[in-house]
Amino acid sequence: MTFRLSRSTFIISLVASLTIAAPPALAGGEKKPMAPAVPGFARFYQNDQAKAAEGGHLLMGALNCMQCHLPKQPELVIDFRPAPILDTVATRVKTSYLREFLSDPQKAKPGTTMPNLFASLEADDKKAKVEALTHLLASTGLPQQMRPDGKGIVSGRDLYSKVGCVACHGTRNAKGDQDKLFATSVPLGNLKAKYHLAGLKAFLENPHQTRPLGRMPGILIGKEASDVAKYLLHGSTPGVSAHNMKYSYYEGAWKNLPDFAKLKPIATGEASDFDLGAARRTNNCALRFEGYLDIEKDGTYSFHVTSDDGSRLWIDDKLVVNNDGVHPPQLKSGNSKLTKGVHKIVVAVFNGGGGFELGVEFEGPGAGRQPLGPRILLSSEPAKVGVEPIGDEPLTPNAQLLAKGKELFGSMGCANCHQLPNEKKSLNATAFDALKGEGGCLDAAPKKGIPWYGLSTTQQTALRAAIQKPAAAITEPKDVIAFTMKHQNCYGCHERDKIGGVEIDVNPHFQATFKEWGDEARIPPSLTGAGAKLNAAYLKKILEQGSHDRPYMHTRMPRFGASAAILVALLDKADAAETNPKVAFADPLTKVKAAGRHMVGKQAFNCINCHNFGGVKTDGVQGIDMAIMAERVKKEWFHNYLINPTKYRAGTRMPSSFPDGTTLLKNVLDGKADTQIEAIWLYLADGKNAMLPVGLNKSSIPLIPINEAIIYRNFIQGAGTRAIGVGFPERAHLAFDANDIRLAMIWQGGFMDAKRHWTGRGEGAEAPMGDNILNLPAGVTFFVLAKDDEAWPTQKAKELGYKFKGYRLTDDQRPTFLYSFNEIKIEDTPNAFEAKGNPMIRRTFAISTDNPIDNLYYRAIVANQIDPEAQGGWYRINDTWRMRIEANAPPVIRKSAGKMELLVPIRFKGNDAKIVQEYQW
Amino acid sequence: MRRSLILLAMFVMPTAFAAAQDKLPTENDYYKLHIFTIPEGEVLEGGALETLPGGKIALGTRRGDVWIIEKGLTDDPKDAVFTRFAHGMHEILGLAHKDGWLYVTQRCDVTRIKDSKGKGKADTFEVVTDGWEINGDYHEYAFGSRFDKSGNIWITLCLTGSFNSNSKFRGWGGKVTPDGKWVPTTSGVRSPGGVGFNAEGDAFYTDNQGPWNGPCGLKHLAVGGFVGHPDSFKWYKEPEAKYLGAAPLVPKSGGRMMVEAKKIPQLYPTCVIFPYGKMGQSAAGIDSDLSGGKFGPFDKQMFVGDQTHSTVMRVTLEKVQGKYQGACYPFRQGHSCGIVPVCFASDGSLIVGGTNRGWGSRGNKPFSVERLAWTGKVPFEIHEMKAEADGFTVNFTKPVDPKTAGEIASYKMETYTYIYQASYGSPEVDKTKPDITKVVVAADNKSARIWVSQLQEGHVHQLTAAGVRSGDGLPLLHNIAYYTLNYIPTAR
Repeated sequence: MTFRLSRSTFIISLVASLTIAAPPALAGGEKKPMAPAVPGFARFYQNDQAKAAEGGHLLMGALNCMQCHLPKQPELVIDFRPAPILDTVATRVKTSYLREFLSDPQKAKPGTTMPNLFASLEADDKKAKVEALTHLLASTGLPQQMRPDGKGIVSGRDLYSKVGCVACHGTRNAKGDQDKLFATSVPLGNLKAKYHLAGLKAFLENPHQTRPLGRMPGILIGKEASDVAKYLLHGSTPGVSAHNMKYSYYEGAWKNLPDFAKLKPIATGEASDFDLGAARRTNNCALRFEGYLDIEKDGTYSFHVTSDDGSRLWIDDKLVVNNDGVHPPQLKSGNSKLTKGVHKIVVAVFNGGGGFELGVEFEGPGAGRQPLGPRILLSSEPAKVGVEPIGDEPLTPNAQLLAKGKELFGSMGCANCHQLPNEKKSLNATAFDALKGEGGCLDAAPKKGIPWYGLSTTQQTALRAAIQKPAAAITEPKDVIAFTMKHQNCYGCHERDKIGGVEIDVNPHFQATFKEWGDEARIPPSLTGAGAKLNAAYLKKILEQGSHDRPYMHTRMPRFGASAAILVALLDKADAAETNPKVAFADPLTKVKAAGRHMVGKQAFNCINCHNFGGVKTDGVQGIDMAIMAERVKKEWFHNYLINPTKYRAGTRMPSSFPDGTTLLKNVLDGKADTQIEAIWLYLADGKNAMLPVGLNKSSIPLIPINEAIIYRNFIQGAGTRAIGVGFPERAHLAFDANDIRLAMIWQGGFMDAKRHWTGRGEGAEAPMGDNILNLPAGVTFFVLAKDDEAWPTQKAKELGYKFKGYRLTDDQRPTFLYSFNEIKIEDTPNAFEAKGNPMIRRTFAISTDNPIDNLYYRAIVANQIDPEAQGGWYRINDTWRMRIEANAPPVIRKSAGKMELLVPIRFKGNDAKIVQEYQW
Repeated sequence: MRRSLILLAMFVMPTAFAAAQDKLPTENDYYKLHIFTIPEGEVLEGGALETLPGGKIALGTRRGDVWIIEKGLTDDPKDAVFTRFAHGMHEILGLAHKDGWLYVTQRCDVTRIKDSKGKGKADTFEVVTDGWEINGDYHEYAFGSRFDKSGNIWITLCLTGSFNSNSKFRGWGGKVTPDGKWVPTTSGVRSPGGVGFNAEGDAFYTDNQGPWNGPCGLKHLAVGGFVGHPDSFKWYKEPEAKYLGAAPLVPKSGGRMMVEAKKIPQLYPTCVIFPYGKMGQSAAGIDSDLSGGKFGPFDKQMFVGDQTHSTVMRVTLEKVQGKYQGACYPFRQGHSCGIVPVCFASDGSLIVGGTNRGWGSRGNKPFSVERLAWTGKVPFEIHEMKAEADGFTVNFTKPVDPKTAGEIASYKMETYTYIYQASYGSPEVDKTKPDITKVVVAADNKSARIWVSQLQEGHVHQLTAAGVRSGDGLPLLHNIAYYTLNYIPTAR
């Protein structure tokens, strides 16, 4: 069998799929099998009658219609999607499944695009034909045996849920079985009935070998394919379970591990490798794991338990490690003399709030330090790990049946779609241009000798429309790209020109290593303008070979194989190239590159605060490795992106160091943005040979508030030398300037990295680790104005009579700052809280004095623009963030020194006054 | 009878000697080092120590935590329980306890902290004074003492970058009075390593080799004094310092400190020089033994940590011509980390805190908390070296063998001084080797009077007493002493 691509050639055929329209009940109450799953159709044409012909066009490719109905006019040929190559099918797929699948494809694999060829045959006739074809397919090889293991299953489960499998195939449960399908998911059918472990592993390693033209892209690398196969087939081998211990789950609020004997577990069951996934929630809960350890040698063994919060480990009911109490991740170790044989292991852990972690390791004679989980056994009987059973039934191909199978393979049309060595296509149905759009495959019920696809009504309508009104060949690059993206389900992950992108239901399954980074870190990038952005060679490389350039993103770009390269030229044509001014340097190239390196480094733009470089990881968010930048993107795009990142990537955290095309570094090179960007580019163009930028090599000491606030007094950039940083578990943080006696800034995400101050001598000021930093106005916050239009003072707080008095802490270390302004005492309590997942700061002022005065004001904000909102005391500031004021006198907005100020008059009740201010930014 | 005793001694001694030399006692036989186990995962870089009621010890760290050590004074350091009392302060280098408050000297201020709810955690943080400035330079440290007899805390403020005084009162020492007032008293500070008191309660601090500071040394924080580095002069005009009058004359770079001291009345010469490389390289914390003998025979003497050498040194002081001067002696080495704070605990043992972050130390642990406890055995040591008009008196901790102690050949003396200059440090210069002309052992065999051919004003007089033996035949545990002879006493 050979593949023909249509004249227009570009379309790569696609991932199989199927609509998950709920199967409509048939008259007899019998459920109609799922129609062929074609994601591009389900998403873009299922509900669009107006585009029925276009949808039909897409379906004809997905269903391979023209393999049988070859048009007489060659220009009408529609690109097709090759069916699986069957050359070695029996090495992968069980013969029992082949038989079952041939008998009724839609039943064996709901959503399949494989038609039922025997739908209306007599039972005996059908059985004989199926058997003959089964014998033919069984003659393609023998399965290999593979030994599954619990550890692989656990890792495979993690991979399946993270790397992108879910985007096309829906979620699967702990046993590897189908859990939730989304509207455009392609169901996988009963994999355990279908595959041998080695076969599924081989398929996942290199899907293109079986399904050419990227119908199923490769996404797993190396050992991952084997792990995911083990997960998907978990339970199909007797004696092997991912579950190697028993667990009991409890709920309650504790400061130490409870006495489990006195508690009734909320749930019990089996778990894998001390997996905390058994917990139904992550706060105020506890898990107790019980299993057995088979010791091969007498000796002293060490056990190491890291946990957050407390944990204990017992061996044979004797406490060996005590890591109890409320604490951040903390390691405790203990030793135990063990004799050869099986020992009972119990590990218990609890969590109050915040992070919930458990890691258990052991080491001893002949065993280096290693995770203990995989060594634990469910039963005290030493486990007998079975070899995967090969099957079903041994089938020795019968020569007579084989010959009949060969004949059927051609005559029934199998060879029209499937490749099998030496088998030739011998079936030709009515030419496409002679089809009427009724009867045959489009019939309402199966008909003898006609393939039955189980099409949905909309699919039938669409096909009919496409037959009656054959679509003109698509030629515009942007249209070809869009059609290809539907065909290949690129839109399942990527948006381009406002089409497609991750669907709402699937969205939560895209995750990132840095949660607080938002969508940018977890949702695959938009492909709008991708042709202007990416270098052709690099684009070709990632389409063909896949990539994982964004280490913070759990999913990756899968590999679609050589045929996908067709998109490269199309994208290049479709997306207008960027342009930018030519730059000439006064300095020699070496100096220019050195300037480039300086700018990337810590003392300048500090790109490496977020970006990895040449394989060296930053302590920050692990942005794309800068050493591949020049290989990856086009210079012109890079230039313009640096000047205005958000124009190209809406909502990106990438800051612009070149606001409005000017640079923040006036003393590097000629102090012009264009020159500086060019210098950075030239430096980056050395790729991995470029010298590492300055400041990349210190290990991080992130301060992570878990159950209580963290106070960090040090030199904080933006809050002075007497700064008091406060990190809150709610992930909104602040820095108070105790020198100028004001709240200097608030931010979100990470709190502070102490490495600068806690390694070496601790030089310099450190900026917040997080992002979305909101700098609050300089100057004092309270003042007495003699007249309404008196300007707010610009003197330093101490010169105006302010004194910083210190602070009080609550039990969970949240501060109230104490300061005075002449005779007025101020208690300033800024606290973090979460509103709809957004970390916010609420600041409560308690003001008191023995001599109340009338004209004391609190200056809540200084901005270019302050717009009061209709309700709730909210103000919109600079049209970018919001602030709320609660006071017993209405705030005044006034213009002063070219800016707007929001002044809150302080009205004392007796000797006291109170103001509340909330920041939502 | 007397003669026969001597004969007997002579006869017996070689044997005793041979036996002793097989295995001479070491520092560890007299002062045992107990190393506390620091809670796993915690970093306790010692910055300050203070004793608390009930045998408890407070430790302030460079990371800004205050830890309380309970049960730290038993024979087994494993008994100690560490609890974090406060966190989030800025490089703590001073702790003082009074009335339930811990007064914390940190970079930015002195803040007193308290656990007002009895929950074991500080919840009240009150600024006592923030009378100096900091500009973000890491070298602008603030070291603080415990309380003196009048309830003052003494502070020393390191220079900006350890070379200049770019922020207010950088390069000054001073006190924080009981009512929270910052009173600068002494200019000329360079890079302090600790501040404390002698037995009489006068304030001293250690300063380190650098500009205007040839070697490391112990200096006195006298009111109105100037201790060496003139960049601090710019703050004499500040209201808090005005009471001291005009700034002193700027010293001439490249001379000698005692020459300049004669021109500049405020210049208070370094009381005890720690010869660089011989007695450490980074002098640090100070405390005096007021235990009345619980720490052995060195009652009322001063103990000083050294960060680079991971040692504790011993210091004796006397007043000559109205100025403090004295000697230093090796005492204990082998600490697991560079020593910064030292503090006598209520039982008379010495607690030391270690850190080597940013500055390497011989002890290779990144941080440590240790306790030096006297074993009850008296080591044979030079108890004190005192200046005389024509030599020195050397006291010993145990009766000496009068013969060896009375022999001139048992002693050796050399002298040297340092250049007083704006550039960094100084080599030993103006070296002399005076003759020891006469030695007389006191009738009680507890001291020896040594006559020296030519004393050198302003020089370190380094005395080696290698030949001296104790009555029971032992050599000195440390046979060397360094006396800083700024002023030569008049004949008694």
